[in-house]
Amino acid sequence: MTRNKKLLWALLFLAPAIISVIILRLWPALMALHESLLAPRASTYSFENYTYIFSDPVFRGSLWTTLFYSVIVNPLQIAVALGLALLMNNKLPTTGFWRTLILLPVAIPQSVSAVVWSVGFRPDGLINALLGMFGIGEQRFLTSPEQALACIIIMVSWVGVGYWMTFLIAGLQDIPKSLYEAVTIDGANSWQRFRYVTLPQLRRPLTFVLVADTVANFLVFAPVQILTKGGPQGSTNLIMNEVYTRAFLSGDKGSAAAATVVLVLMVLIIVLLQFRLMSDKGAD
Amino acid sequence: MRNMSARGALQLAVIAAFGLLFVLPLWWVSISAFRPEDDIFRYLNPLSLWTFFPNRVTFEHIVTLWTSPFARAIFNSLFVAIATVAGGLVVCTLAAFALAVIEFPGRSLVFTIMIVSFLIPFDAIAVPLYNVMRGFGLQNSYLGLILPGIGNGLTVFLLRQFFLGLPSDLREAGMIDGMGYFQIFWRIYLPLSVPALISAGLIMFIFQWQAYLWPLLIAPATEYKVAAVAIAQFSSAYDVNFGVIFAGAMFVSLIPMVILVAFQQYFTTSVAATGGKE
Repeated sequence: MTRNKKLLWALLFLAPAIISVIILRLWPALMALHESLLAPRASTYSFENYTYIFSDPVFRGSLWTTLFYSVIVNPLQIAVALGLALLMNNKLPTTGFWRTLILLPVAIPQSVSAVVWSVGFRPDGLINALLGMFGIGEQRFLTSPEQALACIIIMVSWVGVGYWMTFLIAGLQDIPKSLYEAVTIDGANSWQRFRYVTLPQLRRPLTFVLVADTVANFLVFAPVQILTKGGPQGSTNLIMNEVYTRAFLSGDKGSAAAATVVLVLMVLIIVLLQFRLMSDKGAD
Repeated sequence: MRNMSARGALQLAVIAAFGLLFVLPLWWVSISAFRPEDDIFRYLNPLSLWTFFPNRVTFEHIVTLWTSPFARAIFNSLFVAIATVAGGLVVCTLAAFALAVIEFPGRSLVFTIMIVSFLIPFDAIAVPLYNVMRGFGLQNSYLGLILPGIGNGLTVFLLRQFFLGLPSDLREAGMIDGMGYFQIFWRIYLPLSVPALISAGLIMFIFQWQAYLWPLLIAPATEYKVAAVAIAQFSSAYDVNFGVIFAGAMFVSLIPMVILVAFQQYFTTSVAATGGKE
């Protein structure tokens, strides 16, 4: 078959996907860029919207909150997921059953989890009741500027840990047994086996999970909108909620578009990393 | 338990503790859905056996739920998720086949642009996408809900990986028999790809079932409201009925959980294939 004929066939197969990419991703992204560069009172393109949002303490606060949240939530989820994956990899009896239980929340929409946890976090809810069992007094949780973000972190981790654990279990199962046998003969203890065999062998799945988890947590919206609406005192105003508030509650189109472009650029960088990890497998 | 060391028993205890911790909220939701409204918070302080087991059982919340607009929302969610899986499988398998099998100039560039654009979750561009879709008049329509879900980067990637793994002898034999690309796709590749298609379908189903921001924007009308949005709005209503909320949460969780557990093995395979394994 000639090159041109192959190209024609390829285009035919790719047509629906290419059209969707253009209409559903590239075109809206370009529209956002266009709108973000049109300042409210100017007739030509300018960076006015960008200088405006970056000088706005609310937007800057939301960037910092998102950064702070990412630095806590991602390592926390991965550490718990890795710990559980390591335990499950020992293939003790009934492990499969517990693994399924931990995986269950993955299937639940975040909005439903948020509704359930919002009842749990009520002053007279289940969590205060459980803490009371240990003699801990009633906490304010979602209405406390110090505790609200932690509540959201706990909630999204309940959903996320089982998902990331599945990736790490798959990675652990790929490590050749012979490597462990070799270092055991050399007298390595279990910490050394973890440090010198498991961790280096698990580098790729761990990096993938870190990157994919970062994207997912970056765009957390439902829990914020349902549990706190960004409050109290902006303590949970993550970037998605900030964009939503600007676009639909304040109706400030230009600055919402600028915030969207900033958001997409940040996600794009992480996604490019994720894509590289997915593509060049084995090429260390 | 046969021959388990003390260390093994301790590890199992930790696993079980986490398992129970993860399932506790779901358990609480489910039993609360079956107990009278007055009982839901009554047994929380102090904790007792009745916190976790209902002593009076009622089906009133279930009945209220299914006779409310929520029944429609569940139907909408199911319809949208299934249509997304169907449409998405067509779009993604065709694209994956071209990217895996047909050698055309510029293939790796198309592959990169496509996967990267689809990997950006559409929540990130929900606001401008909303403006575009509104321009097409797709507000409050099933099409508006379904369309953004049909292009999925993980799915295209997963299917392409799978197609690349099939021996090239197969398509060469097809070529010799005079088959065109479409016949090779339809009669050779698709029948061999059922496990990969199930994994891909599962990814798209769960993704669409969980969508919140997009349906909130594009389909606020009661007629087209999906369950994930309906339940959130239930809970912020002035006269909240917790029993009904819990009953709703139970059903919205139960449907994807049954599907996930039934297809867990495919889910794990898809994870292994996209998870940057060596």
